[in-house]
Amino acid sequence: MMRLRALGRYIDRPSLIAVGVIVLLLLVGSFYSNNFISPTYLLQQLQIGAFLGIIAIGVLMVVLLGHVDLSIPWVVTMGGMMATAAGNLGPGGTALAIPFALLCGLIVGTVNGLGVAVLRIPSMIFTLGVNAVVQGLMVLYTGGYAPQDRATGLMQWLAGERILGVPNATLVWLLLALLAGFILRLTPLGRYIFAIGNRERAAYLSGVDTRLVLIFSFAAAGMCSALAGVMLAGYSRMAYQAMGDPYLLPAIAGVVIGGANVLGGRGTVLGTVIGSLLITILLSMLSVMQVPDSARQIAYGVIIIVMMLISGREMRTSA
Amino acid sequence: MSMTPIDTNARRIRELSQAPFLQLSGISKRYGGVTALNSVNFACRRGAVHAVLGENGAGKSTLIKIITGVVRPDDGHMLLDGQAVSFATPADAMRNGIVGIFQELSLIPDLSVEANICLTSPPGQLGFINFAAQRRFAKNLLDRVGCGDIHPGELVRNLSLSRKQMVEIAKALGRRARLIVLDEATSALTGEDVKKVYSLIERLRNEGVAILYISHRMHEIAHLADECSVFRNGQNVATFANGEHTDSEIVRMMIGRDFKHVFPEKPVRTKAPRPALEIEHLSWADRIKDVSLSVDAGEIVGLGGLDGQGQRELFLALFGVLRGVTGTVRVNGASVTVSSPRKAKSKAVGIALVPEDRKTEGLILPMTVRDNMSLASIGRYVQRLMIDRASENAEIGRQVERMSIKAANTDVVVGTLSGGNQQKVLIGKWLMTGARILLLNDPTRGIDVGTKQEIYALMRKLADEGTAILFYSTDYDELIGCCDRVAIFYDGAVRRELDGDNIVEHNIVAASLALDAAAHSDEGKAAK
Repeated sequence: MMRLRALGRYIDRPSLIAVGVIVLLLLVGSFYSNNFISPTYLLQQLQIGAFLGIIAIGVLMVVLLGHVDLSIPWVVTMGGMMATAAGNLGPGGTALAIPFALLCGLIVGTVNGLGVAVLRIPSMIFTLGVNAVVQGLMVLYTGGYAPQDRATGLMQWLAGERILGVPNATLVWLLLALLAGFILRLTPLGRYIFAIGNRERAAYLSGVDTRLVLIFSFAAAGMCSALAGVMLAGYSRMAYQAMGDPYLLPAIAGVVIGGANVLGGRGTVLGTVIGSLLITILLSMLSVMQVPDSARQIAYGVIIIVMMLISGREMRTSA
Repeated sequence: MSMTPIDTNARRIRELSQAPFLQLSGISKRYGGVTALNSVNFACRRGAVHAVLGENGAGKSTLIKIITGVVRPDDGHMLLDGQAVSFATPADAMRNGIVGIFQELSLIPDLSVEANICLTSPPGQLGFINFAAQRRFAKNLLDRVGCGDIHPGELVRNLSLSRKQMVEIAKALGRRARLIVLDEATSALTGEDVKKVYSLIERLRNEGVAILYISHRMHEIAHLADECSVFRNGQNVATFANGEHTDSEIVRMMIGRDFKHVFPEKPVRTKAPRPALEIEHLSWADRIKDVSLSVDAGEIVGLGGLDGQGQRELFLALFGVLRGVTGTVRVNGASVTVSSPRKAKSKAVGIALVPEDRKTEGLILPMTVRDNMSLASIGRYVQRLMIDRASENAEIGRQVERMSIKAANTDVVVGTLSGGNQQKVLIGKWLMTGARILLLNDPTRGIDVGTKQEIYALMRKLADEGTAILFYSTDYDELIGCCDRVAIFYDGAVRRELDGDNIVEHNIVAASLALDAAAHSDEGKAAK
């Protein structure tokens, strides 16, 4: 009991519940096949989960402010396409492939931030519009076909290789999580993000530059999505149309399952990491068990709703 | 005092008990280990205004919550019109004709006034709302509270705080109350609206409604009440007819100790004045009209006048919130352009604003005392990109001690503190920025007497240390007691500036109503 309480200082209840659900899923899975609790399988989940996890960290930055970023699908795709395109422009392009893709993500994210912070357009509308614009730009660029460019070696290494048995993708995810945690917990910027998410007007009247904080968060989210696109292209060795489409809802769900309040002001990086992992494992198990696609969708949806009910109730009782 | 309070108390309760409308006997309520009410006897009758006094935490709120069905007592009986009652929910109490009007506004900002008034039971049939009937109903009630000028179709969002409170009262009236509880219902009101509430209360009393009136404003109680009950530490320590005790006797009963000076003494000004803040020809839209005003270092200047005469806008303009402000603002002689709150708090300007609504504009209630206090000054504690917790905590500790903020520790969520302590946290936040010019927008609203006194003392202490303070208050007593000078606003302009012995209620009221300084006003009598 004492130990649990000490643990509670580092991890909040929704995250703890999510951990419990992950353990439960794996235990149930182990009756089906021992593979589900093998280190190989788990490491593989940490690798696959990194793509979703990286996106979710960006989503967290925006959700903490009480906003949402619906431009994820095509910013991810753009990240992949721009990195592979740059990677095939000679040696200089190969070196700059990843920075260039991140820059593109930064630019789109900043545009999102400007729209929300300066033009005061609700993020749900504005980022949806930006998503469509980016989609149009990418279709224009590729002509609607799968681009033939190969991912660079570095991209493939980051997404597919391992160091001492640990997938590099997982390490990138971990580093990004540490950086986000550092910003949120230890810097003024982090305080401002929570303050704005809880009560933007009070933060503004305290002299916080609320616009700058909003723009930062959206820009960070754009970069995270682009990074995930880079890694995804590295993993598949190429970029392809709509490669970001499956990630929007799982990323938001992961953040919320991890205890974040969709209305802003509450959430943790640790919770987001755990939430992303839960969804990754859930999806993987459903597919390994060869559940028919229809049933898989239903099970996936129901479990996410149930998890949200649990963490939602949590929020009401502790508020 | 020659009489023993207990004897008179018992006598009084006995008298009331002859025809009580509501009678509570032996009511107790505990929250965990804390006793909120300890075997309380209380009675009130129809056609009378019964004032309930006491500091925050004395048990008033619990009493009201029990009467209005929000909480259930652990012990004791409640008789309504001679019948034993026990309310499970507020709706239950409402069905018995008990209606509460609270300080916390229960209105929905994005609905119209009429929709708010008819929210729970709109007129109509089969689930369809009869909009014409709804408008008539709302119009009727608004007329009754003397606010026929509020259009029933207006969105509540667009009304001032004072007008919202009037709508709240109209809404309560729509419920055929036999007993109305007004909990600090006038604290957001000033001038005209307060008068409307006064006359409404008198009308309701004549109609035979029982009224429970909770207020921290002594002169309101002196003016309105028939009976008074004083609560302290969860007990009804005295019930007596209004006028039986002097204000200072009542205050002594409330706080259980001697209550000497409500307001700190005003210093005699000896040094040559050094203007810290000079405002010249400031205008904004049609709400601020060519305002010129200066505040010396060490001076407390009050802003008076009716609510909504541009005082709030003046603060927002000085604090950089409003766009399109014209005119000159000088700080310590240097002209400044304040384009945002961030500029306002910068070293070069050093203006702080304690805004009107502590709960939505001033503090971030779900966050901790620490996060709130350092929010405006966090940049000072950054070392190598990180917040230096040690120096942050040290400075917060100093402020907490200086203002004797009562919180278990600084990791407590601000929303759990009492109103007075919340306000201290808010003031402390701005003191931490090192601002030398303080704009205080009604900082004592809804705060108990003891804490009010502490805030007055703090204001004077800050002024003595050289801070220039602009202080808007809706309470005349505060303006008279605290301020070295008072500027009365009317229709966006300074109507009159009062200083020294001219700061008396009569002059303030006259100027607030834009009357000739010599004109007579009833309100002058209430001044002491």
